[in-house]
This record gives sequence, C-alpha cells and structure tokens, in this order.
Amino acid sequence: MKNSPLSFSVNMRMSSNERQFSFDNWIIISVLILSLFGLAMIYSASHSVEMTIRQGIYLVIGLIGLLFFAVSNFRKMEIFYLQSFWIGLILLILVLIIPSEAATKRWIDLGFFTFQPSELMRFILPISAASFLTRNPITKAKDWWFVITLTFLSFYLVSIQPDLGTSLIVLLSGLLPVVISGFPWIYISAGSLLTILSLPIIWINLFDYQKQRILTLFNPEADIYGAGWNIVQSKIAVGSGGFFGKGYLQGTQSQLDFIPESHSDFIFSVIAEEFGLFGVILLFLVYGILIYRLLLVSFLSSNRFAKIVSGTLSIILLAYISINISMVIGLLPVVGMPLPFISQGGTALIVNMFTIGIILSLRKEA
Amino acid sequence: MSSFSQKKPRNINEASRVLFFLSPFIFLLILAFIQVLNLTLIKGENFRTKADSNRIYQSKIYPKRGFIYDKNNILLAENIVQQDLKVTLQYVEEIDLILSNISKLLNIDFEQLESNFYLRSSKKNPLEPFTLIKNLSEKQIAKLSVNLSNLPGLEIETSFSRNVIHKEISASVIGYVGNISKNDISKNPKLKSFSNQQVGKTSIERDFDPILRGKLGYRIQEKDSKGNLIKTISISPPENGKDLKLSIDINLQKKLFEEFKGRKGALVAIEPKTGLIRALISSPSYDPNILNTINNIDNVNKIFSDKNSPLFNRAISGQYPPASTLKPFVGLAALEAKSISWDTEIIDSGEYYVEGDDRPYKGWKDGGHGVVNMKKAIIESSDVYFYSLAYDLTIGNLSPFLEKFGFGSPSGLTQNESKGILPSRKWKLGYIGDFWFKGDTINMGIGQGYITATPIQIAVAYSVLANKGELVQPRIIESIGKNQTLKISKDFVTIENEKNWERIESALLGVVEASNGTAQNILNKKIRIAGKTGTAQVKSINEEEYELVRENEALRDHALFVGYGPVEEPALAVVAIIENGESGSAVAAPIVRSAIDFYTENQ
Repeated sequence: MKNSPLSFSVNMRMSSNERQFSFDNWIIISVLILSLFGLAMIYSASHSVEMTIRQGIYLVIGLIGLLFFAVSNFRKMEIFYLQSFWIGLILLILVLIIPSEAATKRWIDLGFFTFQPSELMRFILPISAASFLTRNPITKAKDWWFVITLTFLSFYLVSIQPDLGTSLIVLLSGLLPVVISGFPWIYISAGSLLTILSLPIIWINLFDYQKQRILTLFNPEADIYGAGWNIVQSKIAVGSGGFFGKGYLQGTQSQLDFIPESHSDFIFSVIAEEFGLFGVILLFLVYGILIYRLLLVSFLSSNRFAKIVSGTLSIILLAYISINISMVIGLLPVVGMPLPFISQGGTALIVNMFTIGIILSLRKEA
Repeated sequence: MSSFSQKKPRNINEASRVLFFLSPFIFLLILAFIQVLNLTLIKGENFRTKADSNRIYQSKIYPKRGFIYDKNNILLAENIVQQDLKVTLQYVEEIDLILSNISKLLNIDFEQLESNFYLRSSKKNPLEPFTLIKNLSEKQIAKLSVNLSNLPGLEIETSFSRNVIHKEISASVIGYVGNISKNDISKNPKLKSFSNQQVGKTSIERDFDPILRGKLGYRIQEKDSKGNLIKTISISPPENGKDLKLSIDINLQKKLFEEFKGRKGALVAIEPKTGLIRALISSPSYDPNILNTINNIDNVNKIFSDKNSPLFNRAISGQYPPASTLKPFVGLAALEAKSISWDTEIIDSGEYYVEGDDRPYKGWKDGGHGVVNMKKAIIESSDVYFYSLAYDLTIGNLSPFLEKFGFGSPSGLTQNESKGILPSRKWKLGYIGDFWFKGDTINMGIGQGYITATPIQIAVAYSVLANKGELVQPRIIESIGKNQTLKISKDFVTIENEKNWERIESALLGVVEASNGTAQNILNKKIRIAGKTGTAQVKSINEEEYELVRENEALRDHALFVGYGPVEEPALAVVAIIENGESGSAVAAPIVRSAIDFYTENQ
C-alpha cells in the first residue's frame, strides 16, 4: 500500500532522506508510458528519425528537470517563485519585440533550441500566483486583484502573438489559483457573466483565420478541400481506425499525409487510426491514472500552497488533454494545443515534465 | 514570511474548488469519448470507406478508338498519339504561379493559358485531372520532363486524337468526335462514366460510337495526399474499339467530291443489289480534324458559323422536292391502279385545267409537248401528262404507292436522317391545318408541292426500279471488327404487271438515249444509263406567288438527276442534287455519268 493515498501519512514517519526520494510510482510510470508512446507515435506520424531523436533529447532534458524539481525542497525557494513571474513577463515582451520572419511571434530562437515563452509562463504563473496569494494566512483582496491584473497582462501579451490557445491557458493558469484560493463566488459569477456578455466583442476582435476555424467546426463539409480539410481528414482517420485500429505504421490517413500536423497537434488522430478505440481507451486510462494521482496531492495535502499549485497544474493538464482531443475530433475549433507528453514539441514536453516534478515535490510536503 | 507553514482558514475548501473547476474539462473529456465511440463504432464503416477513397485512385485507361477503312481497306480514320499536359487541382498550390511558370517555360501566351484553364478545369472535383495543353511538341515535352518534379499537380499523359485522313472528302461519311456534352449525357445517361473521353458527334463516328469507342480500362493506385504514387494495386486493361470497314469507295468519293467543288448539294451512290453506299457527298464540307482536336478555336467557330452550313449533311438530312424524278413512280402508280394504260395518249398543250377552276397549271415548256403517252411524257418530262395522271389517280392512291418505295420514312442508313414528307389528306390536316385540295394532288404529280425527299430516299427508290422490285435497305458498313459481316435485309415492291418495270426502264433509258430526252447530253452507248432529270423549286409557293415564282424559276431551282447503270446489270444508282443549279441535266447529270463510269471501270 506504499502508493495508496494513505502513503502520505506514511511519509510523515519516514526519515527526511527517505522522503527526499519517495515518489508516486503511478505518476512516474504513467508519465514514462505516455512520453515513450509519444516518441513512437511521432515516428509513425513523421517517419523522421531526426525529429524522433530530437524529441527524445527533450524528453531526457524534461526528465532531468522533473527529477530536479521532485527532489528539491520547495520551502527553501520561496523568493524564486515570486521573482520568476517577472522573468516570464520580460520573456513575453522580448518575444514580441525580437524581429522575426514568421507571421506569428511565438518562439525565441536560442540557436540550439527554440522555445515558447508562453509555455513557460503557463508554468510560472500558477506558482508565483499561489505563492503570492498564500503569503498571508487569509488572502487579502488587493492580492487577488494584483494577481488578476498580472494574469490579464500576460494573457494579453500572449494573445497578440497571436496564440489564442496558449493565451487562454495562460489566463486559466493565473485565474485558477485566484478562484481556488477563495476568491468570492459573487465575483466569480459576475466575471463569468461578463465574459459571456462580451463574447460578441471577442468575436469581432478575432483574426479572420480564427473566425474561420470556429465556423468550420460547425460545418467542416462546406469546404472539404479548404478550411475544413484538417477536421474532415482527422475525423476520417479516427473513425476509420475502428475498434482495434489499422496497426502501428499502418494508418493510411497518417502514413499518406492526409492529416496535417499529424506529429504535433493532431497526433491523437494517428493514435486512434492505428490503435483504434481500444488504444484510445488505454490512453484515457493512463491519462486518468495520472490526473487522479496528481489531484490526490491537492486533495490530501494540508498545505495551502501545495493544494493550489497542484490543483491548478492538474486542471491545466486535463484542460490540455480534453481540449486537444475535442479539437482533433471536431468538437472544438482548431487552436494550437498539443496533447501533453505525446505531441512533438520541446517546450511543451519540458514544461509538462517540470509540472510533474513540482507536484511530486509538493507531494512530499504533506 | 513563512506562508507555506500556515494552516488553511477553515471557511475555504480548496479541494472542492479544484473539483468544481476541474468538472468542465471532465465533462468535455466525456463528450470527446462519446464522439470517439460515435466515430469509430457507429460511423466507422463509413469512415473506412472514406479513408480508402482518399488514398485509392481509380484512373481511367482510355481504349484505342477503332479505325475506319473504305471498301478496299484504305484507311479513312485513325488515331494520332499525342502528349497532353494534365493538371490535378488538388495538388496545385498556387495556380497563377504555376500558369506563369508554364507560360515562361513553354513560351505560351499567359492569357491563352489562363483561358484554357478556366475553360477546362472542373471546380467540382479537384481530384479529377483535366487537360491544360493538348498535343505538346517534343521540345515542350523535353522542357517539361526536366521541371515536372518542381510543378506539383502536373503530369504529361498520352492521349489519342482522331485523324480523318481524307479530311473534307469523307467528312460527311465519317463525322467528327468531341468531348461528351451535357446534352449527350441527357440523351444517353450511360455516357456519364465516359467523361473526358471523346465520343462521336455525327455520322459514322456517332452511329457506331459504342463499337468504335471500346470499353474503358481502370488503373487502381494508392497515392498520398500530394498525389505521389505509392503503388499500383490493380489494372484492368481497356477493351479497344473495333475497326469498321465501310462500303464507301474513297476513290469514287474523292473524284465526285472534286466535281462538287464550289457547289452546294448532295450525292448518294448506292449499289442497288446490296444497298451498299459507295459514295455519299454533302457539299460544302469541313475538315473534321479541326473539330477532332479543337486546337484552334477560331477555325472551329468558322465551321459552326459558316452560312453554307457545312456540318449539315445534305445527303441524309437535306429535304428536297423530288420534282420530275418522282414522275416514274407516279406513272407506275397509275399503271398499277389501271387509271391509265402504257399507251394512252394525252394532248399536252402546255397548260392543264381542272373543272370549275380558271387557273391554269402550267407545264415547264411553253406550248407543251403535243400528243404524249407515258414513255414520251417521262422522256420529255411532260408536266401536263402527270398533272392529269395524278388528278385521276387521287392522293388516296398515290401516297400509299409511293410509301412502298420508301418515301416518307427514314431509309435506316443512319440515326440522324430526315424522313422527308409524303403528304396525305391526314398529314395536311395535321401539319398544315387545312383540307387536301385537288390542286395539291396535281402539284404532287410532278414531285412538287408538299412532297419532299432526302437524296438517300430518292437513291433507294431508284434502286427499286433498277432491281425491278427489290427494295434493299441501304447501309454503309461492310463489316465490323474482323469477321462480322452484316446481312442484307431485303423487301419487295410487288406490282401486278411485272412488265411495267421494263416499260418504265425503257422510258428512263430514253431520257438519256432518245433524241428528245432531257438528259441527252450524257449519252454514252458503252455504259448505258437509265435516269431522270428534275428541277426542284426551293420555295413552296402559294397561289398568289405562283406566277411570280414561275418567272424566276431559274434563280430558285435545284438541279436533280437520278440514274442507274449499266442498265444491263446496274452497278450503281446515283442521285445528284445541285442546289440553285439552274438546269438539272446540265450540271447534275454529268456528275451521275462520271460516277457510274468511274465505278464501273474501276471495279
């Protein structure tokens, strides 16, 4: 019963050295399964050994980061949490002012690695926010408003890159600590109402391609060879997989290049095509175990900071999973959101690994 | 500050808040799972089909169109292999860029390329390749092959283009081919699967299209989303079209076509015993290869807008008053009805009057032909004699008799034949909306008035005279493929007194051989021809115009001559019609003479 929820109390009886390296194996194993499976799927979708190896390197970097965070003692790094937000903010401004040839300004090129400051922000923001909100036993109103202001500033900076998907995640990762830490329900309700009422204004301010993606969702067949292509082809891939799928490397839709971005955002359709409903159920199961074990940290910890951070990070992870899959099968508009641990992409994988590392670390701080 | 060690305030339950904000995403995930179930289990079969149709391409392999030969196995129509540039829209990224690249590469005017593109591209199915440039030159092929890998969506494909070797000379027989039109499909829904394939539009090419066209073959291939070939799954080869051997003698056709040069008109030369058509001319003609290839739109438009309508096949669709060429049949009808005997004499004073009508029916010769019996009436082409004959015979006897010779119904040679008009009381009431007058019968006695016939009908009717009663269905196909020979289908026109055939023939011989014969100009005792001249009024005339038109006759009339020979054993029955030819014997008869002479001498 070492890994049962009860093991938290067991932890308390351990020596501090024992505790340092006592991780939840369920979490470690499911993350390893997902990311190794991800490598296999990236190869199937891209047939690029180079891309697979590079993702493998990111995976190693991510795992090192995971271990680093997991073994570290968060209690001693308090100052870092508070200051890291400003670093994230500077990076978000930098990415906008650095000249780039791309139409969207999402990446900073370090030569050997291009990374997305927005991905980093959605990791930094919950931690800084939670640490700021928990500096007093009872959160003060002005602290909430301060965090909300910084969150909307970050959201705005990401949204003008433009990157609608990640900007919404950044917004979520800043607002979740606020609402979890006890932000009054009356404000939450008022805020939600305001959001709903301002939907038409948001619609007007969307880019044409963003509007097109939303319209396409409702009628992808209207333009099969144009805007609807992604959705139609991806649904064909998922549907044609049937129960057991067509087999690894046997998916005609993915192997013959009918699915665009099959190695990144649309990798779920490759999984469904090659492994069928059976594979999807297994995938859901592994994700389910992971999310459940992560949530337990939030539920069972007695520490407010730990509760807020692990809760927020778990919700964000689930948001990524559910939004990505919904978008691939045509339930949500196409926004740039990778499938955690599986989609190709260095920053996202590394940041997700950091997330797991932090939650593992928080788990020790029962 | 040591915020982490703080105990949480009792009034806030973070865990329940986490669950609350988690719930929408759990709900979304459940929805997504239901959608996956729906896609894989319920719609799975449908999506599998779609996935297959995505990658599996069925491309057509076009069969070779059958060749056409003349009776002596001289090639008349063949296929020329050419290379076309085809475009598949789905794989083209930027069409303007591609077009300007091709334009630079091949040195073709950009605007012409653009107009080709919009003319031929099908927006409906971007996966269906269409032809952008036809018949590439070797230089163009060489330039393209080098650059093709940089031009996605383009490919060079072999196609056949129809080539009619004798061009204008055989156009009226062979016809032309073209792309299937919506009109073609509405007439024959089966053609839909032949889109992009050429089908026959007129004449032989159309009538025997299913035989000439053959059957499509298919190549089933797997391709990726950019159209790159992965592998060929299966090939079912096409079934090539069958070759046709026509009854036409292209040398005869050529010789006669030259005699028609600069004239409007038609000619049909038929072998009376077999019904085989040896020459079929409609003038003016056109070059079918211009329509077969459509390489030059201006030339195509020239053909379609020509006022002399070269596409109109006068030999089978032109409806002319048979005029005096009808007289032998009227005579036979009268003998058969016993309303007159062979030797009965009538005085032709140049005018004919009906009781109770002051208006004269004038003969073509002022003063008339004097005392005439039937033989003389045919030889000299007395109008008054036949006015009288028809009047006594009545329309009720005349029309049914003419019907036996094929007047009034299509000869069955081709599909797009006209059937002419064989008037009757009922016909006039239905089409003109008036009762039949005696005057109508009188006009019909000399082949004028309402009656019209096509050159092919007249040729068939004269074949019956040449055969002494045997009516043979005309045909133009001698054999299909290698060993299929078509049977002759025969019918008989029976008359009570067989001797009358000889009598009529003696009169027709007289037309050429008697000193008073109307076609005495083509007399040649070596190869004897029996025939009849005719001068057909173009315009149907009403009573007021009668006098006026008679005066202007020379300006308006068509010249006709029908003859068969050699009389002893007729090898050919020939009808020649020269539109606005002024005099029947002067222009039409020499052509018939040269047809029969040439054919007999070159047998």
